[in-house]
Amino acid sequence: MRLLLNGNEAAAHAARLARVEVLASYPITPAAPVMEKITQFIAEGTMRCNFVRVESDHSAMAAALGATMAGARSFLITNSQGLAYMSEVLYHTSGLRQPVVMAVVNRALAAPHSRFPEHGDVVAQETSGWIQIFCENNQEVLDSIIQAFRLGEDEQVRLPVMVNYEGYIQSHTRETVDMPEQEKIDAFLPLVRRPVLDVDNPLAVNTVTGPELYMDYKYHQDAALQRAGTLLGEISEAYGAVTGRNWGGAVTGYRLEDAEVVLVTMGSLVSTARIAVDALRAAGEKAGLLKIRLFRPFPAEAVREMLKPARAVVALDKNIVYGAGGALGRELRAALYGFTNVPVYSYILGLGGRDVGVEDLTAIYRQVNEGLAAGKFPALYQWYGL
Amino acid sequence: MAAKELPVVPSARPGTMAAADMSRLREQRPVIDMGKCNLCRECLLYCPDAALREDKNEIKVYLQFCKGCGICALECPTQAITMVGEYAGNRGFIDK
Repeated sequence: MRLLLNGNEAAAHAARLARVEVLASYPITPAAPVMEKITQFIAEGTMRCNFVRVESDHSAMAAALGATMAGARSFLITNSQGLAYMSEVLYHTSGLRQPVVMAVVNRALAAPHSRFPEHGDVVAQETSGWIQIFCENNQEVLDSIIQAFRLGEDEQVRLPVMVNYEGYIQSHTRETVDMPEQEKIDAFLPLVRRPVLDVDNPLAVNTVTGPELYMDYKYHQDAALQRAGTLLGEISEAYGAVTGRNWGGAVTGYRLEDAEVVLVTMGSLVSTARIAVDALRAAGEKAGLLKIRLFRPFPAEAVREMLKPARAVVALDKNIVYGAGGALGRELRAALYGFTNVPVYSYILGLGGRDVGVEDLTAIYRQVNEGLAAGKFPALYQWYGL
Repeated sequence: MAAKELPVVPSARPGTMAAADMSRLREQRPVIDMGKCNLCRECLLYCPDAALREDKNEIKVYLQFCKGCGICALECPTQAITMVGEYAGNRGFIDK
């Protein structure tokens, strides 16, 4: 069945199809409509789920964590200030290895106060130990949330997952979304219960851990996060077999064969970049696109292989790590260092909702070509569109 | 060097803390004058570490659990408990 849905509605339908049992959320713009839609499903009886009213995003995360530790499948939504507010509990959730799934509707952080899209909110949580998936359209939002439960709940992983899509550009814009049948999703996503809070087997959870054990726990946590990268590819294939849509794991290429200048980005800008690459190819340019679907864990080895033939790599970042540059620019340089000496051009753009169109990406492409022709070494990072 | 095998969820079985010796945390310990004690058990109720037990009409201190907080001495209605320093040696500068 095909429906006309915005990103928030797609996320709510994904939660319904995944048979989410607990929703603990605090409303925040632009993510709140996901919550409204799920509570509507609950009210009309099309979804059996407990909605927990909380007084803050910090409590929302704590409630979702507690529900998951009791064995329930939990979901929540947030973005920007809310995500920053729950940061402390994000670390508890990943450290306690609880597979909560959260939709993050990316929005700029204050100050100055903003309601508009960019990735600064989620990049700020890059060390939180969560799996971070980015979606380019509303169909991918629906499909990724369903996949996120299977990925996070896998015995080899057991970690929480953030599924990211941008405010307004995706959350409030309608697109055709294919709705998979419930029976197919039930077969793809069996319910996994691993209660830690068990009256028959009492445990002291999250006890004070000394220097002799803390580091070993963290080693296991990081190893599990790395395993999630490989597993996402397998899960995407399995989902493709069920629905006919395979989003291709951690990273995918577009027109990379013989590509000399490769644009690398994530989120909604991927769709824009696809059109820009088509336009450049039509004009005889050897342009390509690398889509980062999984930002954490960062698929460094796959990225290396895929970028091997490139003459220039262009990182398009809708975020700024103040004083260091764009997160993708930094990751790409780290992945490629010592492997190839391809220059990485790092652009900061689209912050706080500033629009980035096809013509902007073709302009950047031209700038990069000029830089290559002049043999200039690229700046650490540069701001585009001021 | 390999990482130690650990439970996936950081956790401990009940009784894990009871196996740990806490006596090195202590600067002072309670000494009970059974001549003053009337076995009212207030100290047992207040002790945050369950380090006090009643045994054959006598209150005993389990020193591996006692952290020397002094709450028992403060709460004892008959002032039967005195906190005694664990270290009785020199303090401050030691002249060579």
